[in-house]
Parts: sequence; C-alpha cells; structure tokens
Amino acid sequence: MELRKTTVRQAADAVWKGEITAHQLIEKTLKNCSVLNEGLNIFTYLAGIDAVEQAKAVDQKIKNGEKPPLAGIPVAVKDDLCYGVLPTGLGSPAFSEFISPVTAAAVERLMEAGAVVIGKTNLDDMGQGSTTLSSPNGPTVNPWLAGRTAGSAGAAAVATGVCMLAVESDSGGALRQGASHCGVAGLRPTTGRVSRHGLNAHCSSFARVGITAFSGEDISEVLDLISGFDERDAATAVCREGISEIIKAPGSKDITIGYPVTAFDYLEPELREIFEQARERFAEGGYRIEEVDLGLLREGLLAYYVIAMAEAFSNHARFDGIRFGKTAEADSLEEMYEQSRAEILGREARRRSIFGAFLLSKDNYGRYYRQALKIWEMVRQEFETVFERCDLLMLPAARSLPRSLEGESGFLEGWSEDLYCAPVSLSGMPALTIPAGQVDQLPVGMQLVGPPFSEKMLLAVGSASGSTGK
Amino acid sequence: METSAAGLEKAIKAIKIGLSLPEQDHLHRELEELLGWLEPLLAFNTGETEPLLFGHEAVNVLREDHPQEGRLAELQEAAPNFAGGFYLVPKIMD
Amino acid sequence: MKYEVVIGLEVHVEMLTGSKLFCSCPNRFVAEPNVNTCPVCLGFPGALPQLNREALQQALRAAVALNCKVALYSYFDRKNYFYPDMPKGYQISQHYIPLGSNGFLDIEDEKGELKQVGIGRVHIEEDAGKLLHEAGGASGGSSMVDYNRAGGPLIEIVSEPDLRSSGEARRYLEKLKSIMQYAGVSDCKMEEGSLRCDANVSLRIPGDQSFGIKTELKNMNSFRAVEKSLDHDIKRQARILDSGEKVVTQTLRWDEDRQETIVMRGKLEAGDYRCFADPELAPIELTAEEVELARQNLPEMAAERARRFVEQYGLPEYDAGVLTASRCLADYFESCLEHFNKPKEVSNWVMGEFSAHLNNAGLEADQASFTPEDMVELLKMIDEQVISGKIAKEVLEKAFVSGKKPRLVVEEEGLLQISDQSELEAIIDRVISENPDTVESYRGGKGKALGHLVGQVMKATRGKANPQLVNELLVKKINS
Repeated sequence: MELRKTTVRQAADAVWKGEITAHQLIEKTLKNCSVLNEGLNIFTYLAGIDAVEQAKAVDQKIKNGEKPPLAGIPVAVKDDLCYGVLPTGLGSPAFSEFISPVTAAAVERLMEAGAVVIGKTNLDDMGQGSTTLSSPNGPTVNPWLAGRTAGSAGAAAVATGVCMLAVESDSGGALRQGASHCGVAGLRPTTGRVSRHGLNAHCSSFARVGITAFSGEDISEVLDLISGFDERDAATAVCREGISEIIKAPGSKDITIGYPVTAFDYLEPELREIFEQARERFAEGGYRIEEVDLGLLREGLLAYYVIAMAEAFSNHARFDGIRFGKTAEADSLEEMYEQSRAEILGREARRRSIFGAFLLSKDNYGRYYRQALKIWEMVRQEFETVFERCDLLMLPAARSLPRSLEGESGFLEGWSEDLYCAPVSLSGMPALTIPAGQVDQLPVGMQLVGPPFSEKMLLAVGSASGSTGK
Repeated sequence: METSAAGLEKAIKAIKIGLSLPEQDHLHRELEELLGWLEPLLAFNTGETEPLLFGHEAVNVLREDHPQEGRLAELQEAAPNFAGGFYLVPKIMD
Repeated sequence: MKYEVVIGLEVHVEMLTGSKLFCSCPNRFVAEPNVNTCPVCLGFPGALPQLNREALQQALRAAVALNCKVALYSYFDRKNYFYPDMPKGYQISQHYIPLGSNGFLDIEDEKGELKQVGIGRVHIEEDAGKLLHEAGGASGGSSMVDYNRAGGPLIEIVSEPDLRSSGEARRYLEKLKSIMQYAGVSDCKMEEGSLRCDANVSLRIPGDQSFGIKTELKNMNSFRAVEKSLDHDIKRQARILDSGEKVVTQTLRWDEDRQETIVMRGKLEAGDYRCFADPELAPIELTAEEVELARQNLPEMAAERARRFVEQYGLPEYDAGVLTASRCLADYFESCLEHFNKPKEVSNWVMGEFSAHLNNAGLEADQASFTPEDMVELLKMIDEQVISGKIAKEVLEKAFVSGKKPRLVVEEEGLLQISDQSELEAIIDRVISENPDTVESYRGGKGKALGHLVGQVMKATRGKANPQLVNELLVKKINS
C-alpha cells in the first residue's frame, strides 16, 4: 500500500479487513522513515520497537473484533508534545534524553483510536519559529526542493508519504506555514477545541494543537477524536457542553468567502497571482466572493510578538536545571542557574526570553505589553466583523517561498513571515491551510479562516476546492 | 525612562542566563532593531479599547477537591540531582 | 514614648482543602519529602494548572468574613522570580485584582475601646516549597528542596497600617485567627506554619500625616514572637530617632534564641516581578447573589457563639468569651456537654485547668490527648464522689501528660476517695487527740478552727478523704 495515494479511511479499512496488518504497515513505515530521515532531517526520534508494539496491540484489538477508527495509521508527533515513551526533546539540546511523565492529550486520543506514534518530529529552538532553522538538530529539508526549509517537520513527514498524520503545535503559524511550504493540509483549531495538555507551549495564549495530513478529508477523520473538553486544560471548558459546529455545504452561494484586497500587498509579487487565481476558482465553484478589509495585519503581527515574548520569558522560567533537563556543575545557586539555563535555552529562546523580560518590565509594561493586549482585542474584533459578512476568509499562509537553508538573515525578517498567520492566532479562530498552487516547483498554500467552530465547513470547502498538492 | 541598555541589563539579570559581553552587545543591537520594528505598535491609536487578557472564553473552570496520591517515583527519574528524597541545589548562603 | 507607632501586617494563611490549589496532590503535611508532588506542582513542561473549587469557596468565605468588597471579576497573575522553592519560576497569585479588598476587623485598642482595623486586600496564591540547608549527609553540602508544600493553597491578608502598638498587632492576629478558624478556612497554627506573619513597622511624630521609614520583620513563629519583635524594633527605631539619625529601610529577622531582631538584608529591593495575567487559567466570575449567599452562609463567629453560650447554657459572659475565643476550645466545650450536661461545671474545668495545661504545652484543644470523653469521665468521677475536686486536678494533669484514661490514673495511683466511715473515724479520732487546743478553740466558738482540723484529716489521707463526710463526722465527734 502506498500511503501517499491512500486516504486515512482507506488505510484503516485495509487494516480492518486484514489486507495488511498494522504490524506490516508500521514496519514498512519505519523503514521508509529512517531512509528519508537521512536526507531530510525530519525526525528527532523514531519509535522503532515501541511503534511495533503499538501496532501489534492494534492487530490484537482487531482480532478481538474491535474496529479502531485509525487502526495502524502512522502518526508523527512534534517534539514539543510530550509522549511518555520516547524522549521529549522540546527543541533543546539539554532535553534529548528527557522522558516526560506526561503524554499529550491529543496523542493519547489518537492512540486510543488505533493510531501508532512513529516518531517525534524536529522543531525550532524551544518550538519558537516557523522554519526549524533554529533547531538544535539542524533544519528539516523541504521534500520538494533540497536547499529550502520545510517550515515544519510534520508537514515534511506527511508530504513525503512516510506518515499519514502529524500532530503539531501552532502558535504564530509553524503548522500552517509548514503545510503551505510542503503542499499538504494543516488545521489550526478554534481556541479550546483541542486540549493542550502535554504541549510545552512557549506562548500559552496562542499555542494550539493541530493536525497536518495529505488532505482536508484526512483531517476530518481525526478532528472529532481529538476535540472536546479535557479537565486538564481550562480553555477546553468551552466544549464542556459539546460543540456547536458551523456546517455549510461547499460550492453553494450560501457560502461567502471574504477576500481581503489590501492584505495581498505584503506578498512577494510572484505569489500574488496564485491568490487571484484561487479567487477565480472559488467564484467559478459557485461561492460568493466579498471584498473585506483587514487593516490590522501588521499591528497584529507586532502585538503577537510582544505577547509571545513576554509569555516565553515566563513559560521558560521553569527550566532551571533542578527538576528536569540537565544541570551544570556549579558552586553557587546563581552560577547553577546561569549555566544550566544557558545550556537549555538556545539563541532564539534566549532572545525571546530576554526581550520578553524587557517588554514586561515596570518601565515598559504600559507602553508595549498593555498596548499589545489592546491591539489583540482590536484584531479579534476585526475578524469578528469580517465574519458578520462572510462565512470564511481566504488569506496567504506565508509571505514568501520557503527560506533557503543557507545564508543568515535577520531575526525580524524571519518573524515577519508570520504576518498572515499571527493575526489569525490573535483572533482565536480556526484556520486550515490547503495547497493553492506552485511557484518555481515549490508549493504555495492558502489559509481558509472561519469563525469559531467552523472547522467542518473549512475542511469541506478545502477538500472540495480541488487543488491539492498531490 | 531608562535607556534600552539599562533595561536590557535588568532583563538579562531577570532571566538568569550567563551571557558573554559580545553576546550582550549583540543583543543590544538586536533590541534596538526590535524597538524600531515595534514603533508602529506604539504609534497605533488604540483609543478606549480594553486590553484582552485571555485568548479563551472559559470562566470559572474548577476542579473538584479530590486529592490523589503524588507521583514522585516517576518524577524523580527526570531530576539531574536527586538524593535522599530531595532535589539538590548548590548550597545557599542566607 | 514621644513617637506614634505605625504597624501593618501581612498574613499568609494555609487553607484547609484536601488537595493543592492547582493540582490534585494531597494538601497535608508529610514528613517524607517530595511525595506530594506531580507534574503540575513541579512545573513540568506541558502540565497545566486546574483551580480547586473548594479553595475558591474558602477564599470567598475568608473575604466576606473579613467584611471585604468581593471582586465579581478576578483572575490569576504570574509573579515572576527565580528561587529553587518556586518550581515554575513564577508564583501564581492575584496581583492586579484581589478577590477581596476594603475589608476590616474589630479589635480592642490600648484603652479597651473598639477599633476597626482596615484590611487592604485578601487574595489567593500558591505556596512555595521548602529549602533545607543541612551540612553533610545525603546532600553533601548542597541545599535540599522539598516541594511537598509547593502549590499549596494560601490566602494573603494585608492589613492597612492601622495598628498602633504591638499589643494591637497581637490582638489583630488573635482576632484574625479566630475568624479564619470559625469560617472553616484555616486552622491558623502559627507554630506549624499554617499562619505566617510579616510585619511592617515605622515611627512618626504624632500628628504627622506621612509615614516614617519602615522596616520589615520576618521569621516570627508565634503571636508572642510577633509582639516581642515589634517591641524590640520599636525601641530600636526610637533610639535611632532620639539620637537624631534616620531609620534605614531594611528587613529584619526575629531570632527566637537571642530574643532580638537581626538584619537579613539591607535596602529593600524594589522587586520587578513583571506580573501578567496567567493565560493558562480561566478568570473567576462571581455574581452578587453568590457573594451574598457566602455572607449569609458564614458559619457562626466567635461573638455570636458567645452570645449563644450565655443564652443556651446560662454561662456568665466572661466564661462564654474565654471559651469561644478559640473555635477549638468552644468545640471542645460543646463536645463535653453532649455527655455531661452541667455547663458551668464543664466551663470551669475547660477554661481553668484544661486551658492552663494547653498553654503550657503550646497546644490547641484539638491537639490534646485529653479528649472531651476524658474530660467527661473525670467530671463524672467528681460528681459520683469517686474523687475529690482537688484529686481531679492531679488526675487531669497526669492524664494530660501521659495520655492515659482518667479512671486508669485514679486506679493506678490509688486516688479513690475515702468515703468509708469507719476508716475515716479512726483518722478523725487521731486528729482530735493530737490537736486538743484547736478542738478547744472550736468549742469556744471559733468556727475557723474546724477548717484546720478538716485540713489535717485531708493531709493524713493525702487528699483522698471525702471532704463533706469529714466535716460531718468531725462536728459530730467534737460535739458528742
């Protein structure tokens, strides 16, 4: 079975029917992964024996007459999500052997459904970035074009066909930009829809757990499984009484797609055309297109970074070398802190922690932090206003094509790539990246953003829109 | 208003990471860049907008008060310096 | 003294919940270090806090019991600083909006008049772990951290600088303790750390509007220590001001052994804690009705209970006041009454001998091994004339210390009262013959002389004689 040409549903069906055992499927996947990993640097850890054991357990369940919905489906897990069996590296050199006492809620739920964790995927320094360029393990290579970044390793794992699903975090857009750069589908869910228990968030306000897959259809297979209230994450309390989904059938005049005309001005010129074509395709597909105003993208990006850095400063304070990770030999407490933390936090993590501490200080709190919180509210309102008139909104996922692995560029240049993703993070609304076209042999994706709990509509529209990267 | 250099020095102290002087200088240049980048944020008129504090709309999320045994046995495995039931740190002189 | 004393107190109180503030680890003392810990209270990556419903309820009760205005919207902030006892590198607290503010409690001032002491804020926060600095042993010269207490549920109660003497400070603490105990929020045992107090104290010339330079006092582990350390520092500050110099802002530690304050650190660092709302927790919203309900459902407080004791049991007001000052003692008293319904007699023993022993041992009523059942057994023995009141005091002391049942003490020590007439008559005969002068003066009309003779009989029986019977027999013999 070639996973690249198979849907999650078909693969699970094949395992149910005994056309292939979960064990066989996983053995083959592991082999493919380890071959691919040499060139692309996708995985920080491969599950090996553990994955085989998981697969055998799935086969046993099927023998017992159970029909696990994701029987034997290989899933990759980003390395900032804890999985108690493999090390949880967090994107820190000091955590390469850290076995977490916690397993992320989303991973737990997928495994209960029969999915098999195949390995942990690469990520930026403490998960901070949308390129993997700051990873202590080196960057993940784009499977479409060597020499370019993949954006996210999970997206690369899916795009190469070694895995069918990837569970990934997304704060400022790592998941959505990765999907865009690798030509796959990636969903960042509504705030509170998916439990973040077990996610080492650098920014708690905006970090979400999402799913990357070949297509919207595959994501639909798992969305319900990972959604819903979890006592361990307060934000999921909005789902305590169930979820009221916004569902509309694709391809009808009932669905109005917002087209933010001025937003595309920030795009690299060669990418603009793709979105004009996408607009036309939607119009031809029977959707109503409405031009809308998104005037706060730039301010939203800046507010995102102020808040994200402030929270990173605080969230990363727990890495003190006392209870987990590594500690430095030191004669004094102060020295122990300074050296242990220098080993744990890499360049990007230090930069954000220090600037976060700067922005939160007594002198700067009102000027920067509080101002960012106000802009957060204004951005949220702006998106709300858009969805009073539209059912969904189309936006680019990235400003440019995936970055080159070579050549240093300024940190602000990298951060500015989040222009289209970070404001969506502020809005709290769900966003699905789907492939929109290609430039220079590289895929370019687009975000479909919807009001809270409109994931099913986004997935339906995304699946029907046709232009998959396959 | 203190200078960005003074603020940076305090911030470095606050996060307790040992940094060499060249690293500190480099960070100061980056901070200046950052502050320039953030200027449009400061210039933006937010009027009477109330700051948003939470990205989620949940309120009063409460756990029932049912105690459960602790999990030291699993947790101590992760500790770099653990002996006699205690986490160890360099001697603190009070 | 020519200065006016200005004192404000910051009190931390441990709440009486089953589990910690943000995780399910048990909230109780255990000797074994670090056993009450989990990924949440140790700040492991990916572990999120979950607020304890009961802790919120207790904090709300505390706020209304202290007459606070309750915030209908509040939330938790992170107070960011590093210390090994603080696992996450921040303490979850309520910095910007405390649950309660603008409260007060009443105490008696130096003149015995009622005085209202303002309470600036009552807020919820998590406790820190504990550091031990023992030399050698397993730690090999390291400091050792025990996180059992980390994440424990606390409320912080900050008074306004309304206290004007160390005595007022002590009475404020006693009152606060009583209120917290009655509200079922905390047992407030300072010796065990479930009530901790820091004091700010400064002096000024009476009539001055501004405050003097203050010092902060820490490490007091009893109300007595709070009073003494304040007195000590007030005198020290007065001496400095008298000599025309300035008091220096500093933090001092009370040294119980040396009975003096010792400088901990100089000039208070104006800490920048970079507080911001904790995004991992949900805000707290209360309705005015919920707050009102909490107010109405407050358990009976000391004053009400005292009033009830007077009405229901016919106790003198003095007795009622003493008994209800501590909720434990009042509970003890009422437990005794359930099986021995003679309120005044019980009251005499509970607030007399029993309380004296409690004070000596530094215990609360519920910590004594001499239980209400023991007290009832003792009182019944007196009532049934098995032992005399005097012997009962001895029995109580022995039972209190040894933990033995009173009846067992009486048996073991051979303290049964002698009510056997023939046995007593023999002794009385001997006393009469040995004290002819006293017998004569009694016959001559000096009633007091009889008391002396009774005393002699009691002495001869080591207090075990039934005094009433001795009296009767003596009179009969002398007059016959």
